[in-house]
Amino acid sequence: MANKKAFGKLKGREAMVLGIVIAMVVLFSILSPTFRSYPTFVSVLDNSYYITLMALGVTFPLITGGVDLSIGTGLVSYALIGGYLVVHKGVPIGVGILVCILVGLLIGVFNGVLVAVMDLPPFLATLCTCMITRGLGPALCSSMGVSWPSALSEQGAFRKIFKFTSASGTVIPIGIVFMIVLVVIMSFVLDHTRVGRYILAIGSNKEATRLAGVNVKFYHMMAYMISGLFAGMAGVAYAATYATIYPGSGAGFELDAIGGAIVGGVSASGGVGTILGTFLGVFVICLMKVGLPFIGLQANWQQIFTGIVLIAAVLVDVVKKKK
Amino acid sequence: MKVEKIKQNAFVKKVGFNRIVLIFVLLLMYLAFGVLTGGSFFGFSRISNTLNYVYFLGFLSLGVTFVIATGGIDFSIGPVMFCCSLVSGYCLTTYGVPMAISLVMSILIGVLFGFFNGYLVAYWKVPPFIVSMASMNIAKGIAAVFTKTQSVSWPQSTTADGWYRNFVSMNGIPIGLFIFLAVSVVCAVVLNKTKWGRYILCLGSNEEAVRLSGVNVKRWKMLAYIICGTLVGIASIFFVAAYTTVQPGYGDQYNNEAIAGCVMGGTSMAGGLASISGTVIGVIIISLLQQGILALGFTKEYQYIITGLIVIAAVYSDVSARRRKN
Amino acid sequence: MGDIILTMKGIDKSFPGVHALDHVDLEVRKGEVLALMGENGAGKSTLMKVLTGIYKKDSGTITYEGKEVEFKNTREAQDAGIVIVHQELNMLGHLTVAQNLFIGREFKKGIRIDDRKMNEEAQKLFERLNVNIDPRETMSNLTVGKQQMCEIAKAVSFDAKVIIFDEPSAALTESEIEEMFKIIRDLKKKDIAMVYISHRMDEIKVITDRVTVMRDGTYVGTLITEKCTKEDIINMMVGRVIYEDPKTESAVPKDAPVVLKVEHLNAGRMVQDVSFELHKGEILGFSGLMGAGRTETARALFGADPKESGDIYINGNKVTINNPQDAVNCGIGYLSEDRKRYGIVVQKTVAENTTMASMNDFMNGIFINKNKEKEVADKYVEALATKTPDVDQLVVNLSGGNQQKVVIAKWLTRNSDILIFDEPTRGIDVGAKNEIYKLMNRLVAEGKSIIMISSEMTEILRMSDRIVVMCEGKKTGELDISEAKQETIMNLATREIE
Repeated sequence: MANKKAFGKLKGREAMVLGIVIAMVVLFSILSPTFRSYPTFVSVLDNSYYITLMALGVTFPLITGGVDLSIGTGLVSYALIGGYLVVHKGVPIGVGILVCILVGLLIGVFNGVLVAVMDLPPFLATLCTCMITRGLGPALCSSMGVSWPSALSEQGAFRKIFKFTSASGTVIPIGIVFMIVLVVIMSFVLDHTRVGRYILAIGSNKEATRLAGVNVKFYHMMAYMISGLFAGMAGVAYAATYATIYPGSGAGFELDAIGGAIVGGVSASGGVGTILGTFLGVFVICLMKVGLPFIGLQANWQQIFTGIVLIAAVLVDVVKKKK
Repeated sequence: MKVEKIKQNAFVKKVGFNRIVLIFVLLLMYLAFGVLTGGSFFGFSRISNTLNYVYFLGFLSLGVTFVIATGGIDFSIGPVMFCCSLVSGYCLTTYGVPMAISLVMSILIGVLFGFFNGYLVAYWKVPPFIVSMASMNIAKGIAAVFTKTQSVSWPQSTTADGWYRNFVSMNGIPIGLFIFLAVSVVCAVVLNKTKWGRYILCLGSNEEAVRLSGVNVKRWKMLAYIICGTLVGIASIFFVAAYTTVQPGYGDQYNNEAIAGCVMGGTSMAGGLASISGTVIGVIIISLLQQGILALGFTKEYQYIITGLIVIAAVYSDVSARRRKN
Repeated sequence: MGDIILTMKGIDKSFPGVHALDHVDLEVRKGEVLALMGENGAGKSTLMKVLTGIYKKDSGTITYEGKEVEFKNTREAQDAGIVIVHQELNMLGHLTVAQNLFIGREFKKGIRIDDRKMNEEAQKLFERLNVNIDPRETMSNLTVGKQQMCEIAKAVSFDAKVIIFDEPSAALTESEIEEMFKIIRDLKKKDIAMVYISHRMDEIKVITDRVTVMRDGTYVGTLITEKCTKEDIINMMVGRVIYEDPKTESAVPKDAPVVLKVEHLNAGRMVQDVSFELHKGEILGFSGLMGAGRTETARALFGADPKESGDIYINGNKVTINNPQDAVNCGIGYLSEDRKRYGIVVQKTVAENTTMASMNDFMNGIFINKNKEKEVADKYVEALATKTPDVDQLVVNLSGGNQQKVVIAKWLTRNSDILIFDEPTRGIDVGAKNEIYKLMNRLVAEGKSIIMISSEMTEILRMSDRIVVMCEGKKTGELDISEAKQETIMNLATREIE
């Protein structure tokens, strides 16, 4: 009985977000005929991959009660480094992708050390890494944009991971399948492994977790490593989706991801959150991003709305706590 | 020990040991850049470039000093500054709003953002970093929507409306420096000599004790953010007066540099401890560093990296100093 | 009764300035519940912390299961089978019950945490203990009582041989206590030894086999519960000689005007329908045991915490106090028991703290009149004999007694007529204590009125003109100093045997 209640409660938040997503789709479809077309559907998905990946990763630091602000500039920088190696140094595409992910993981370790070991405030530490990664990509590989191999070329096959174009020319957004697989895997990690359990525990009550004999520093660090790893993967997704990576971009991407996670029910004060919630929350943001122009609003309205939604989502938390 | 002895010296005590160290760092850096660039760093153009940077960054840093003094944080200041100059600049260039009113508008937009942030943090208890993220986004969004994602160029000094540039320099006299120093003095006075500053510092140190003394802590906390917003508005004027053109979507990097100046100057991230003179020196160091890196032929990317590392170092020394004390 | 499982002999422990434990003995037997009693600060908790390795003892021996032991930390004690059930719960509110029980030692199936098995094990444990808790429920959804049961279950799941209950019933309702007792009786049958720290006489009578009484860090004696009366225990708890002369009669004239009247104050469980009056020039002592709701009453009165209902009259006029600002404007000053958190801003100077509550009197236009500030601060440093090199000293560098004086100066500067002293001498050494007492006497002589919350019986008897006694959120009695005795107060402060 009680279980049903707990289950029902989690379900409630996710169902609500799902409801919002559906409502948005319906609203946009009614207001704009062009919105209800297959290409738009594909474009929403295309825009969602890198945000989804970032969001899945950043959910973990958020659950510990911290945050990772370095993922946005990070992913651009990883994609730049990887792409630079592939395009200018003749490295095989597989290695380029691997480098992209590994550099992400490395920055995750760095963040983890700053926050978990050196005890710096997470937002400040990762704000610094945000700047560092912003400089890192261009500094390492010239300040020019990098274009990963196009889908037509042989090396560009990796782009098909996300968007498969059949011989007849139909586009299949296959990336969503991978996203769903990752959502399942990370849900498993969060809900059924020690890493996830202790990350939730740290967010709930760090001191009590330490007293239970858990190596708090290690698991706290793990949260940032996961975030870094996923930022690396987001870098690959970004490179696969967009033609060219421009240095200096990426600032503000993290907001979309963090906004998605918090809309999806991750608590800004830690301890609460689900991967499915995050996944659904991301679509609220992505739909705003893609959908608003269809109803005659500039894409930048999305930024304003994301900001407001972020505060509203946190306020719901705050009000709940007061009760 | 020798260092202890120096610290006991009356003069050193009066000026503050940390400040003397900072000034030394500043001078050493200046000399080092000068030597490394073969003397060209001492040239007039570098000095004026550095000063241009000091102005707007200085105002940002002064502003965020008040917020950090309460134990909070605001990293929306960079984009908010851009929002101020973009929106008012667009009004100026497109709608023909008079220059004076545009300038006032710049400041007012800053004040509004400060009020918004402060209200959410103080009255609704939203964590400052969430508020910062949100208002960073909102500022960028408003600026982009308002200007239709176009950059805005403020009038050149030769035009009739160009008088506002005199704020930075008039006939080669660095008026901006005088204004900046004057505002710094005002900030120092506010922080150290008025009730506002007293309460802001005290609540940053121990909010509950101040509340139990019968002080309306929420109001004073919000005030810190409003002061910050006002200074951000002023910063936006100095930014356009020095650099003319503003592009929507940018401004993030200045958050870090402003916080860097503030933390280097000895303001504690935990709140309750702030030094305006420290911030001023810190900002000059950061600005010199940015110019020096460019002068040495490195790109701005290295600026980002180095500033990031400096903030980490400064915050870490603050954190570990506090840990030692406990 | 079973064999002896644990013996503590001649345990000695000193902290700077305090001799917390003075050669204390304790003996626990298998399958018994031993009550450990004593006034606040008698050393009960310290003794248990020494046992479980949180504190290191200075001397003495601990024999456990026939071997001499010394645990380095709670974890070691836990592994050996000695577990504390804390008063404050160490729980992870967002996790489920089973996840909490097994945190740090989860069952695993490969890399997967076997939640099903954990739930099953937890269920078995609860069945064994006869409690009805769903292991899959989120911890924060449980009542405090149920959370307490989980803590006990957790202790049992460690295969504990000795379980220490540190005031377990403080937050529980009647029925929850009943339920807990059922568990304790079950555990007794399983030959587990238990130490039960509590102030509640009725519980002691119902559940324990023997009572060990401590007083001022020493061992007083042990009684068989069945054969003793409440009076016997109280006599052992308070049987000290009071060296300082207690007040014998009130110094306040009978017709002194009422400056503060509180009627039917309610604020949660800890403040239930509290009413009292404070006369001009009076020291009104608030006595009671830990958790009696005295501080909560003061905080509700002061507006520091929200209150549900209640009327407050100052000099006969009804006032509204919703926050500390209102209270301060009504002339009330609150000196918290936790000075560092609620009283002073330690990183600021003596002068800045002195004027904290009355900034408006120190303004010169928009500027703070630092000369006047210094003047006033100097005045109070002198008047209160605060030991500080100058008023620009950071308060963090002062001793506890002098910090307290700075707080007093703050309220005197504000000209507060009603002062609430919450544990005015906690953490202050003996010499400074007397000074604070003298100061309080001087203040009332000058026409201020004082509410003094104190857990020290000597302090209550020495300073108060009248005494209000509280127990579990209710006012249980009001005594004139002339009729107050240690025994009467302790009787009112502990719950009646029903």
